[in-house]
Amino acid sequence: MLKIDQVSVRRGSSVALEDISLSIPHAKTLAVVGESGAGKSTLIAAILGLIKPWKGKITWAGAAVSSCRPALVMQEPRSAFNPVLSLRRSVLEPISAQGTSVPGERIKRLCDGLELSAEILDRRPSEVSIGQAQRVGILRALIAAPPLVLFDEPLSALDAVTQKHTAKLITDLRSEEGFAALIVTHDIGYAVAHADEIAVLKSGRIEEVATARSFAASPQSSYGQTLRDAAISLGALDTAA
Amino acid sequence: MTLRVSGLSAMRSGRTILHPTSLTIEPRARIGLVGTSGSGKSTLGHALIDDLRAQGHSVAHVPQSPDEALDPLRSMAFHWREAEWALGLQPGSADQKTLFTALKIAGGDLRKRPWGWSRGMQQRFVIAMALIGSPDLIVLDEPTSALDPVVAAATMDLLDRHLEGRATAMMLITHDLGLAARRVSTLMVMQEGRIVEQAPTAEILERPKTRASKSLTAHRNWMALPC
Ligand SMILES: Nc1ncnc2c1ncn2[C@@H]1O[C@H](COP(=O)(O)OP(=O)(O)OP(=O)(O)O)[C@@H](O)[C@H]1O
Ligand SMILES: [Mg+2]
Repeated sequence: MLKIDQVSVRRGSSVALEDISLSIPHAKTLAVVGESGAGKSTLIAAILGLIKPWKGKITWAGAAVSSCRPALVMQEPRSAFNPVLSLRRSVLEPISAQGTSVPGERIKRLCDGLELSAEILDRRPSEVSIGQAQRVGILRALIAAPPLVLFDEPLSALDAVTQKHTAKLITDLRSEEGFAALIVTHDIGYAVAHADEIAVLKSGRIEEVATARSFAASPQSSYGQTLRDAAISLGALDTAA
Repeated sequence: MTLRVSGLSAMRSGRTILHPTSLTIEPRARIGLVGTSGSGKSTLGHALIDDLRAQGHSVAHVPQSPDEALDPLRSMAFHWREAEWALGLQPGSADQKTLFTALKIAGGDLRKRPWGWSRGMQQRFVIAMALIGSPDLIVLDEPTSALDPVVAAATMDLLDRHLEGRATAMMLITHDLGLAARRVSTLMVMQEGRIVEQAPTAEILERPKTRASKSLTAHRNWMALPC
């Protein structure tokens, strides 16, 4: 289980995250929604240990998070890959690093679920569309069956149909393999449909944490309400959800 | 001025990724380009921009990834000066303050390089650069993909206000039909490198004709229709 305990993070002279407490058990998904620039990517960096919290602690099963080799799906899909390597080489890198072999059926299953033709993996990052690169990023994150996966806007470049297939693959694998997932997203419809819990972040603070169902029915914070209503008015969520 | 391109196409690694496409864009047009991931939307956007620029038209572009527009080694201030210079404007003559305030990025530090700004802020900075002048066409490729719904709506409102009263046409490339429904009057649907459907937005949303538009409209809502 991932535990974020009263964490505050400073960036320069300002406070980027203030007194954040969250936890994600095995096989559960927490969606973090909120304002552009609220500190969502900072939270991911802090979990990965790339930024040191000024106060508080982040642990995985009581130990440092790095001990579980968490996987990350980056927000900027194409630049997440080495531009001169084929996507296949980049995808297989986490496996080769562990010295284990490459399960062909696993790659096939993931590619099918992500609606990627396997041929795409032989190209370089600049030779695929941004939505394709985003899905290859998900493939790379999930390939070695990590216990903790951090997703930064994993569906932001995808159309509605591809979003649903991709979301389903992530959720299916999570229940089969039991990884804990943290998903940063602007898409309230996605969060409600696929997360167990939703945390609303605004200006570096948590406004509310609720189960997806109760958030959809009645957000407790006024910012949560605004976000949910925006999703309804865009047609991404039902009023009666 | 009416913009015309004909026979646009693109091949990469021996594959045709854009089949010959001709378009006519009237002044003040509001066009949405939708389609599944990889259907060729960005490719068409790039080909259209290159062709129109070669014809001597002015076209502003907000690429899908801010990385395409921002040099990682240059400060944000440098990018802004370049954008003014490209339009033949004196440095500092564009109304940066009003644009930045409306886009809620007035707090960004212009001395920093792109990675000193969040991805959503970079996206809005690139939109602000595209709004400096009055081009014949502005092409926006997924301009709100890194923005929360509230900021996304505010950004699109600014764009509407900005275009009001100008002859500038807009092409909005988006995967978000909810966004398209509110912002464009015509939709073009792409599939496998071709425009397969083109009609008034309301008509496509209510009576989609092709497989591509049917599945895109059917899956708009997260709760309806499992895949
Ligand atoms: N250099 C290349 N070699 C081979 N195929 C390419 C190359 N560049 C692009 N493609 C392919 O061309 C197709 C169209 O790409 P494009 O970026 O235009 O799609 P898109 O509709 O904008 O997708 P997205 O919604 O994911 O951004 C994709 O299938 C992509 O894989
Ligand atoms: Mg694209």
